Amino acid sequence: VLQRHMSSKIPAASYPNKESTSPPEQLELDGWKITMKSSAQEEGVSTVLSSKDEDPLAATKELIEMWRLLGRDVPEHISEEELKTIMECVSKSSKRKYLKYLYVREKMKKVKQIKKEMKIAAKEQVKKDQLPETTKEDKQQNFLFLRLWDRNMDIAMGWKGAQAMQFGQPLVFDMAYDDCMKPKELQNAVSQLLESEGWNRRNVDPFHIYFCNLKTGGAYHRELVKRYGEKWNKLLLTATEMSHVDLFPKDNMIYLTADSPNVMTTFKHDKIYIVGSLVDKNMQPGISLAKAKRLKLATECLPLDKYLQWDTGTKNLTLDQMIRILLCLKNTGNWEEALKFVPRRKHTGYLEISQHSQEFINRLKKSKTFNSFP
Amino acid sequence: MAFYFTGVRSFPKLWKSNPYLGLGQGHSYVSLFLKDCDGIRNQQKWFSLKTMSPQNTKAMNLLIAKVRYGRKGDEGSNKQVSSESPHMFAAGAAKKRSQMNPSSKDHDLLPVGNIIQLPTKPLNSEEWDKLKEEFKEKANFENWIISQMVKCHSSVDVAKSVLAWVAAKNSGIVGYDLLVKYLSLCVFHKQTSEIIDVYEIMKARYKRLEPAGSTLLIRGLSHTDRWREALLLLEDMRKVITPSKRNYNDCIQGALFHQDVNVAWNLYQELLGHDIVPMLETLKAFFDFGKDIKDDQYSNKLQDILLYLRNNQLYPGESFAHSIKTWFESVPGEQWKGQFTTIQQSGQCLGCGKTLESIHLSSEEYEFLKGKIMNDVIDGGDQYKKTTPQELKRFQNFVKCCPPFDIVIDGLNVAKMFPKARESQVLLDVVSQLAKQNLHVLVLGRKHMLTQNSRWRKDDMEKVQKHASCFFADNISEDDPYLLYATLHSGNHCKFITNDLMRDHKACLPDARTQHLFFKWQQAHQLAITSRHPGSKITFQHILNYDTVVQTTGDSWHVPYDEELVERYSYEVPTRWLCLHRKT
Repeated sequence: VLQRHMSSKIPAASYPNKESTSPPEQLELDGWKITMKSSAQEEGVSTVLSSKDEDPLAATKELIEMWRLLGRDVPEHISEEELKTIMECVSKSSKRKYLKYLYVREKMKKVKQIKKEMKIAAKEQVKKDQLPETTKEDKQQNFLFLRLWDRNMDIAMGWKGAQAMQFGQPLVFDMAYDDCMKPKELQNAVSQLLESEGWNRRNVDPFHIYFCNLKTGGAYHRELVKRYGEKWNKLLLTATEMSHVDLFPKDNMIYLTADSPNVMTTFKHDKIYIVGSLVDKNMQPGISLAKAKRLKLATECLPLDKYLQWDTGTKNLTLDQMIRILLCLKNTGNWEEALKFVPRRKHTGYLEISQHSQEFINRLKKSKTFNSFP
Repeated sequence: MAFYFTGVRSFPKLWKSNPYLGLGQGHSYVSLFLKDCDGIRNQQKWFSLKTMSPQNTKAMNLLIAKVRYGRKGDEGSNKQVSSESPHMFAAGAAKKRSQMNPSSKDHDLLPVGNIIQLPTKPLNSEEWDKLKEEFKEKANFENWIISQMVKCHSSVDVAKSVLAWVAAKNSGIVGYDLLVKYLSLCVFHKQTSEIIDVYEIMKARYKRLEPAGSTLLIRGLSHTDRWREALLLLEDMRKVITPSKRNYNDCIQGALFHQDVNVAWNLYQELLGHDIVPMLETLKAFFDFGKDIKDDQYSNKLQDILLYLRNNQLYPGESFAHSIKTWFESVPGEQWKGQFTTIQQSGQCLGCGKTLESIHLSSEEYEFLKGKIMNDVIDGGDQYKKTTPQELKRFQNFVKCCPPFDIVIDGLNVAKMFPKARESQVLLDVVSQLAKQNLHVLVLGRKHMLTQNSRWRKDDMEKVQKHASCFFADNISEDDPYLLYATLHSGNHCKFITNDLMRDHKACLPDARTQHLFFKWQQAHQLAITSRHPGSKITFQHILNYDTVVQTTGDSWHVPYDEELVERYSYEVPTRWLCLHRKT
């Protein structure tokens, strides 16, 4: 073995004799194996024996490490808790999915960190450059306002919000879906709720938002309080455990759901629209329609097919897209304008209402008349 | 419009040669487009677009491509299709159906990327360096080149020269990913000594392997003298994750190859214990090995495998069927005779003349299925999802009051069969033809069918109601679950008419056993309409009255199997059988 070792290693290291043809090459090809085997002996051997009776947690960690060597999408660092979650996953594919999620999250974090550092560095650079100049000019300038824009904006939005609480049109988020969703979907739903609330706050004429069926201490409530923190109790919206049917007259309510057979033609300012705050990733069609049927409420869906050349994706929109569309309709009543908030990837363009499509719309209208609820 | 023509004219030859489009060319192009746009609604959209955005041109090109491919597929199938269309649940029927409407075919072309001529013989370091310079894409050249080699099954020596080059650059260290890819090449070329070398290296360097590496090693080692180490690898793997059926297959094949029957059976038991469905290859291996063994216990176990196939509705492949036949014929003293046959419509085997098991459910199974349909498909935890409690009650009362039906019709499915004919007319035709045979018919539909419009005439519907009992569900309720329940409620003789395969309703059922019961019942009771023209006499798909499943009567076995060249969909059953019987 030693001879082979010697003879094979030397040509690999000192290659440049170009005349060498196949026979010496053959020897050279196996050279790396010996180094691989021998170099490992320093670190490896003892661990191989001990690996027989170790705890599964460490084994899983090693497995993940090997996956990483193979270039799979797994995170570099993993916490004890995450490891336990992985062990609890029932199937291989669920493990893989969770690992991929961790991997993507880790990657995003890293990118963010790098960007942050770059920003700080750039800022310091600017400071250094500007320091000598700014000191001179500072005294002579006259300003009308102090730079307190953000706070002023907040206060103004607060006033508007208070006004909406008194006189605004109600918009209900039905929160009765927390048991239909997995934890991840619930988190997504809460993110979307936060986003929608933010859009509403910034609008010229906000809705008066209701969170109905929100159980105190339920999963939804906990997550909302966690995200909003102290602000939760100062939000200018109505959160209630009551159902929307107890708060409003039934005839005035319209449940918005993509499964509805009725198409929304105009935004009505005297109606109370209800949006189901549900993120449905595991295909349970008809949940919200079933809810509306049970309570005997009218339902409507957005006229997406009427205005858009639909391409891919479900017709379920996110909650924030929904509220932006509704806000836009409320202020302008223009469908083309409002449906700008439908993601561009889902459709290929607007439809012109030509003679052909007019017929189609008429047909829809006709069908609407006999599709209404009994 | 001009765009469409120019787009289309770039394929003049393809279109001219097409027998379907004999008339004026320009005209026929358009008509074909409309067909492919799938219905009137889309057609309007295509013509009312404001501007042709880039996406739209893309979509158009795609459409053109689709048509082109569809045509090709169609021409190919024209030669094959026999005069008689296959049974709805027969293997390969869905494939043939899909070839009939070309628009449903989709072809995606893979983009061709960075092409470097793969070397055919080992290169030295300088040559590799040179090749690396030519490669200008992503950073990792070594990884890319070896992946390409794996894809093209290059010779082991070439791959080895890559590793040697990498090792030389990297002070003798080769990364795990390269090693695994190299290993897969070795396993592909069955280079035993190389596999063992890599195995030694991996064992020395790494504390634990991951599944991809272990799988390759198990596969590579199982046919060598060191096959027992494959079992150790399997053991190691089991600590962290469940091994795949392929891992078990390799180990079992290794054990059988080395005549260790007990290990093989134990592994098989373990595999079943994990609720993994074994590969048919594994089962075939047991039969292949059985030829040389004359042992009662072993043959009992093989019969257990056949029963496993029966209980799980698995069908062997063609070569597996041959193995089964060979094994049976090799059993000493029993004189089995096997032949490949088909089954007559009456359910008699063409080989031996025996009648196969009936497809009808036993009365317990029947009641069980009825309950499950009511609970899981119609109710499903929330009655409002598919219907309303009021409607459900109305339906139950209705079914209770009526005497049992002979035929239950899915009104909407039947009425929409011919897009050109008026819906109510089609429905009336079907119902009156059935009523003439003195059958008690139930028509299920939705309420909107009763409102007068151009598609649904009132007088037609009145005639329908005269000939048959009718139940109209709400427009937003589902009618199929009612159809299923009404048929089940009427009893075993009752059939239902729809061309719907009911896969969504089958999916609502909780477990595989119930789903299979449903499928069996569906095969026995579903009448699918095969007529192609409105107005013609209605013909139905004949109903299978035998169950397609592995079955035995003690001195005979009937085993349905999949032919190699036929693609069978999950809701179809094989048509070919292996008939085995003992000579008396």
